[in-house]
Amino acid sequence: MTALTIKNATVPGRLAAVDLDLPRGVLVGLVGPNGSGKSTLLQVAAGILPIDGSVAWSGREVDGIPPLERGRMTNWVPQEARFEFGFSVRSVIAQARYAHGDDNAGIEEALARFDLGSLAERPVNRLSGGERMRVLLARAFATGAGLHLWDEPLAPLDVKHGLEILVLARRLADGNRTIVLSLHDLRVAHCLDIVVVMHAGTVRAVGAPDEVLMADLLLEVFGVRARTAPGLILELP
Amino acid sequence: MSARAGAWLLPGATLALVIVVIASLAVGDMALAPARVVDGLMRRDDLAATIIWQIRLPRIVVAMLVGGALAASGVVMQAYFRNNLASPGLLGVSAGGSAGAVVAIGLGFAGTSLLIIPATAIIGALAATGAVLVLARRGASTERLLLAGVALNALLGAVTSYVLSNFTLTYERNAQVLFWLLGGLEDRTWEHAAMAAPIVLAAAALWPLGRPMDLLSLGAAEAQSLGVDVRRLQRTMIALSTVLTALATAVAGTVGFVGLIVPHLLRMLAGPEHKRLVPLALIGGAAFVLACDLIARSAGNVRLGIVTSLIGGPFFLWLLRKQT
Repeated sequence: MTALTIKNATVPGRLAAVDLDLPRGVLVGLVGPNGSGKSTLLQVAAGILPIDGSVAWSGREVDGIPPLERGRMTNWVPQEARFEFGFSVRSVIAQARYAHGDDNAGIEEALARFDLGSLAERPVNRLSGGERMRVLLARAFATGAGLHLWDEPLAPLDVKHGLEILVLARRLADGNRTIVLSLHDLRVAHCLDIVVVMHAGTVRAVGAPDEVLMADLLLEVFGVRARTAPGLILELP
Repeated sequence: MSARAGAWLLPGATLALVIVVIASLAVGDMALAPARVVDGLMRRDDLAATIIWQIRLPRIVVAMLVGGALAASGVVMQAYFRNNLASPGLLGVSAGGSAGAVVAIGLGFAGTSLLIIPATAIIGALAATGAVLVLARRGASTERLLLAGVALNALLGAVTSYVLSNFTLTYERNAQVLFWLLGGLEDRTWEHAAMAAPIVLAAAALWPLGRPMDLLSLGAAEAQSLGVDVRRLQRTMIALSTVLTALATAVAGTVGFVGLIVPHLLRMLAGPEHKRLVPLALIGGAAFVLACDLIARSAGNVRLGIVTSLIGGPFFLWLLRKQT
């Protein structure tokens, strides 16, 4: 069963006739140089950027899905959270349940999972960049959506919280949810189920990391030489 | 701010409003003792009844409608632009409404129907809102918004000045134009209150928008992803905030800073949640404008717009200083 189907998606100057098909229950890494269209593709997949072409979630055309139901099916997390107003961390996470009639289900679990319990009553506009990203991810988690589209969630996080997010994303994928996250660290991308490589507004390659992240492609797309070698290994205790 | 402390705010604001209403009934060219206010309200005292029912009460009602409308309009604009400096005055929406009314007066239409001035004020305010939306379309940074507001205020000021300087106006029409420029509540009648009455409907229409406005105020794309019908919500918000500002401007002229400082103070006290902020702004705005009008009357009939600006100007500067 497909989770996300994008057909012929075009955004002038940013995305050129992109096709993409992702199954359920996978952890997907979206990689590519700066300006290659990763954020645009995620916004297109989330149905928040109008395009030429079509987007479907679980086989349903997004254009035909009413707004509230969209909120229950998919969640998009922006690269950077600009919070202008001092809502508490708890109340921002509780916004996840807007599409569920504000039932407040799973808020406490989300606070705990993202290590935000001690910050629950703190105004979000006084948090650090990494803390703000954890709030956004906790809100995404609390939606219970089947398709998650996260724009560089690891970039502002410290090592431990970054690893925790990956572990959690893995667990969500094992629970038959699809997580797509854009990232720059190809070594992290190498540990995911599927890698999508973007280049100049197109999808250059899709597949298992071993098949996709090959030396010649990396040289062509990123302009770097790749080889495997032992290095520093970090894991959660 | 804890929820428990916040629970006092609505009753507190209501009490403040009641006190200012009572004071406004008693204070004036002819001071009335509390007992005489009651007699006047009950029509047991002819003179007091005339003062209260013909002069003070309509002015009080108009003041409350204007204050509530401007403050609520400010709350909505701040949520829409995700910027707590957005307000009907700074963005030029008030000036648009004012220019609409002034042009109608200048062209001599105003006398033909009671509905002309509110209608032209709404058209002017809508045009100004449209211009702000275009000027600040992509990401409403503080700088962009304020610059758009400066440009619009200057442009609309020129329109008004043109009417003042190039139209041969009778003394009476000139006075009417000046009235809109300075903002005031002199000689407001029940007709003006009726003219502004749709403010109540617009305010009621804001009621169910509280929750989605919370989500929108933290980002339009995020709100859409969480299930908010963002386009529809934004259209409704713009329409309601413009109508609120336009109606307030149609009956009281340009009354500055209310839409900026009342929401701001209330957000500091009650937090950013709109379900609480909107009703608080309606009541707090009403109390604020009525109190300013009381000061204006007590200080020898200073114009209301001058009092709100004397209070609001320094507050705004303080706000800018705090933000940087």
